[in-house]
Amino acid sequence: MEHGNYVHSLLDGVAPDWVPGWAVVVSTAAVGVALLIAFVAVLAMFSVWLERKVSGHIQCRYGPMYVGGWHGWAQSLADALKLLMKEDLVPIGADRVLFVVAPALVLGSIFGALVAFPFTPGFFFADIDLGIFFILGMSALTTIGVVMAGWASNSKWSLYGAMREAAQVVAYEIPLGISLLVPLMVAGTFNLLEASQMQAGWFGMKWLVFQNPFMIPAAILFFTAALAETKRAPFDLPEAESELVAGFMTEYSGLRWSFFFMEEYAAMFLMSLVAAVFFFGGFESPFTHLAQRAFVGETAAVADLPLLYQLTAGVVLFAKALFGVFVMMWLRWTLPRLRIDQVMTMGYKYLTPLALACVLAAGTWEAIF
Amino acid sequence: MRGPTTFRQYLRNVWDGFFTTLIGMRITGRYLLQKPITVQYPDERMPIPDRYRGIHYLEQEKCINCLACARACPIDCIEMDAIRHGKELEWVSFTLDYQKCMFCELCVYPCPKDCIHMSTEYTLVSTDRSEFVHDLLSFKGMARDARVRMREAEKKKAEKVAAKKAVAAPAPAAGTEGAKPEEAQEAAAEPAAADAEAGADLSGDEEAQA
Amino acid sequence: MSEATTQQHGNITLREERVLPSGEREFMLDVRTSDLEVNMGPQHPATHGVMRILIRTDGELVTGAQPHLGYLHRCAEKIGENVEWLQYLPYTDRYDYLAAMNNNLGYSMAVEALMPMEIPRRAEMIRVICAELNRIGSHLIMFGTYGMDLGAFTPFLYAFREREWMMALFEKICGARLTYSYIRIGGVFNDAPPGWLQEVEHFCDVFEEKHKEYVDLLMLNHIFVKRTAHVGVIRPDLGLDFGLTGPMLRASGIDFDLRRDMPYSVYGEMAAEGAFRVVTGRGEKGTLGDCWDRFYVRVMEMIESIKIVRWCLANIEDGPVIGDVPKVLKVPPGEAYVGIENPRGELGHYVVSDGGKVAKRCRVRGPSFCNLAVLEAIMPGTLLADSIAIIGSTDVVIGETDR
Repeated sequence: MEHGNYVHSLLDGVAPDWVPGWAVVVSTAAVGVALLIAFVAVLAMFSVWLERKVSGHIQCRYGPMYVGGWHGWAQSLADALKLLMKEDLVPIGADRVLFVVAPALVLGSIFGALVAFPFTPGFFFADIDLGIFFILGMSALTTIGVVMAGWASNSKWSLYGAMREAAQVVAYEIPLGISLLVPLMVAGTFNLLEASQMQAGWFGMKWLVFQNPFMIPAAILFFTAALAETKRAPFDLPEAESELVAGFMTEYSGLRWSFFFMEEYAAMFLMSLVAAVFFFGGFESPFTHLAQRAFVGETAAVADLPLLYQLTAGVVLFAKALFGVFVMMWLRWTLPRLRIDQVMTMGYKYLTPLALACVLAAGTWEAIF
Repeated sequence: MRGPTTFRQYLRNVWDGFFTTLIGMRITGRYLLQKPITVQYPDERMPIPDRYRGIHYLEQEKCINCLACARACPIDCIEMDAIRHGKELEWVSFTLDYQKCMFCELCVYPCPKDCIHMSTEYTLVSTDRSEFVHDLLSFKGMARDARVRMREAEKKKAEKVAAKKAVAAPAPAAGTEGAKPEEAQEAAAEPAAADAEAGADLSGDEEAQA
Repeated sequence: MSEATTQQHGNITLREERVLPSGEREFMLDVRTSDLEVNMGPQHPATHGVMRILIRTDGELVTGAQPHLGYLHRCAEKIGENVEWLQYLPYTDRYDYLAAMNNNLGYSMAVEALMPMEIPRRAEMIRVICAELNRIGSHLIMFGTYGMDLGAFTPFLYAFREREWMMALFEKICGARLTYSYIRIGGVFNDAPPGWLQEVEHFCDVFEEKHKEYVDLLMLNHIFVKRTAHVGVIRPDLGLDFGLTGPMLRASGIDFDLRRDMPYSVYGEMAAEGAFRVVTGRGEKGTLGDCWDRFYVRVMEMIESIKIVRWCLANIEDGPVIGDVPKVLKVPPGEAYVGIENPRGELGHYVVSDGGKVAKRCRVRGPSFCNLAVLEAIMPGTLLADSIAIIGSTDVVIGETDR
């Protein structure tokens, strides 16, 4: 907690003397949690609106136009309000504890993964050296939550959907990790901030995706595996079909269901963030370079970065991640769905060998050049 | 072609999967950037062509209560009722039940006077079932000129009757000149009285319909 | 070596396979499970109408499928015996509501077969134009809803965009968008308004471009091909045995189209001039007669319909649009059967008249009804997840199945 923890230093300065050290730490953490929850909630609402607008315009129609005036920007707010006011139903015969914990676990794991992200070069919740490893691990925890949800719903269809989803996620974890090995090899670090910083300069030519010809297939494989991880089309069997009901989410309604929904968009955002940092330059872009020149100067310690530069860098990263989310949405409305056995075939027989081949080829390239 | 996939098929699958996706994305991407083709109903509406089969309207003056449209309707949703006064009609009701109507336009063609049509109105929203039984009449009773024509017809008939009587009356008038001129006067007075009545009626009608 | 013994515990059978050198006995376990009956109930997310299919599955494998019909039965044939000849026309619209013009045409032709009447040439041309445009509309719905069944939501909207245009054309000519009652006994109800034929030509031009998009977006999409190729294969002899007609039969490779082989209206002239060709499945992406072939036949038939419409537009002349039909229609006694090519197959009307104002019997052979029967033969042996693909590819309209 040496660098980037303004909140801690602020609270430390403000707190009276008799407040013990650990209380300041805990309250810093609480502030961080609240900020993160707010961020994810707003992000999910924005993503829902964006999805509806994107799907609308792809389909030659408008999407929400009414609520709030300009292109229905407040539609998600209205929907969130509605979901909050719904009855809290737990089905008869459902395992109450698991039923309640499942959505919390699913959303909590994505929160945990987002904790390791640097939102701006100077501001992040936890600077973890094993950044990407931690993120992959935390995002895999959602599977447990899904299986819990399927089991606890006391419904045949939910269980069936949950089993399929678990099989799908487990199958695609492998190519997800392996295809990430390629930029990790080239970057040489797990730390997100360092990986982002080494892509600075040269108008985007130093982005990791251009460093090695096998990075491009690796990026595509990563993106495909990320689509399957987040249960987006064309891999959305668990949530869309699954014997004509909504899969593991069937018995959920109101706030609990909105947790699953938020998790989906937060996971999409998370995967896009990872892709942005490890393939597409992270914070670095011509704008950040300009901002760096303007506000910072060529050399400056990381801890003393001025606010405007940080904001620019943060906005750049956010924009790249949003573009990834947009591409995921675009794909959803273009492609039909894969059958479950085709999903598994694709995961094990196509993506994994191709990812391994990519790693081998990229490694050879790195060794030679 | 079935059986384990060969390596060639494997590569083909990878290629196909990737490139057909890109082709699809190009098509949807193009539409993403175009202006949508929908309209914001109910603030904006699509133009409706003239021949649209919407809610009916009746040109009541032309209608002769022949029931051709009611007979043509497959579902018997038209009912009409009018009292005939000579050649003129006193309208009671002309209802079309939109709970039954299937907008097939079979009622429009048989009309000999071409007076029932289907308009371009299509919104039929209500919270009360009775509002779906539309009365297509624009006025009940008789039209003013119909009433005028009826009175004139009655007047003419009365004049004819009086003329016939007048023709029959003068023959025995030579014998009973005293009494007959009174009868003749009475007979003459009747149409006058009827005239006055008609006049009164007419003015009364004018007041009523004003 | 000891003898193999079998133990039965309820559903579980233990069969002794062998004795290992260490002296342990190795058993094989067989569990007899019962089949699960899944109700693909009257309400579907896949919008085919209200149809119930009872599927018996052994795990993921389908072992039996039985369609249950009648949820949309509206006694259309009985009504035919109670209303006058012309009054029955709106009822014909409503069985296959997606191809209403074709239904009107079939009924009108059946009644005209009993009457000594000549249909004016302009009426025949307009009839064919309307029927083919409606065929395009119906196939567009199949295209859109099949994509939607399989998870591609966008082609549905694109199909409906073209269909809106088609419905606007029909709105201009007869005033209705879905149930037209336009093609009547003796011709058509009213002539095309000025400018209509030019608009149809414009529609044809634009549609040919959009058709390429449909092919690229859905038909040739790798995922779509994977979902539909080799699935639900109907062998040609099976198709003939079940009396399939229309695209379902042509997809199995059998070259039979009522428009060319038993021509009616002006199709005979067109076929003689080679104005259109009959599209058959070729097993291009999978086996001959699979779901992809059925989809392919319907999508390519749309282009053939455009060719037919263009031929009619080129050969249409001015003239009356209705023949010599008495005001009070009394059809001479007799019986007639006329089968026409509906987008779904052969739509047949069998009409019996005893000389009165009302039909004695008006029987309809609905192609979807006959096509549905094949499900019982092709679904066993497929996976449950494929059943939706198969049902969607039969392109049933329950209004026609149940009448």
